[in-house]
Amino acid sequence: MVWLALTVVAILYATRLALVVAPTEATMGNVQRIFYYHVPTSMLSLLFPYVNFVASLFYLGWRRRDPLRALSADAVAIAAAEVTVVFSSLSLLTGMLWGRAAWGIWWTWDARLTSMLLLWLLYVSYLMLRKLSATGQTQTLAAVLSVFAAIDVPIVFMSIRWWRTQHPAPVFFGGPDTGIDPSMRPAFGWNVLGWAMWGFFLLTFRYALERRRQEREQEAALKSIEGSLEIAQ
Amino acid sequence: MRLSWIFGSSMEAHHLLAAYVAVWLIQGGYAGWIAWQWVRAGKDLQPDLSLNTGEDEEF
Repeated sequence: MVWLALTVVAILYATRLALVVAPTEATMGNVQRIFYYHVPTSMLSLLFPYVNFVASLFYLGWRRRDPLRALSADAVAIAAAEVTVVFSSLSLLTGMLWGRAAWGIWWTWDARLTSMLLLWLLYVSYLMLRKLSATGQTQTLAAVLSVFAAIDVPIVFMSIRWWRTQHPAPVFFGGPDTGIDPSMRPAFGWNVLGWAMWGFFLLTFRYALERRRQEREQEAALKSIEGSLEIAQ
Repeated sequence: MRLSWIFGSSMEAHHLLAAYVAVWLIQGGYAGWIAWQWVRAGKDLQPDLSLNTGEDEEF
């Protein structure tokens, strides 16, 4: 609860910095303030797929040798996939709201937007597979899918470096003459911190929920075995 | 800078407000959904508190 309270305080402070304290951008005007939510959200939507990817690798490695630890890894994987969908949905949505005001269009099929949409679709597919598949191999299939899905992450990151896109050129790590004005840095930095703390909170909370569900399923399975043994006797 | 402009009638004001509200609603909604599922899963995990007299046990 302390973590959650600190997170909410950090986000409220960051929002105040973004909306009230940061200066108005000279060419785009106030709509540029979407940047303070859009960029941290997008950064996190490229981070959580790797949590899902690493957890899926651990699941695949442990599923026969150590099934209980594999279940923990699987819980991390599904939590990270869901958080990825939440953050990438918001990245797309805030980007479209900004694009309509700045470019005059909601959407264009440029490399960054298309690869980001593909990322979103991949993780929605992952969650649908987990929800709808009834093969008994669902967790393994999902783990394999997540390994392929992770390949899209560097493509999304590099798309505005590899290709000329409608999406703005990289603001960070884009070489010389890139970056933001020093007066905008506190608003940006606090939003990155606040939303990263929130993302970590969501990840751990969703992981705890999945572990609780797994325990419930294990209890139900044990009761079922006990019941069938009693009938056999 | 005063914040009143965000409730103005321009497109940039609408879109900025929509972006910020959408982020809060979707993030809050997802956290609320996890909390709801957490409570539901917890109820299902409640131990069976019915009195066990041991009469039906075989030794």
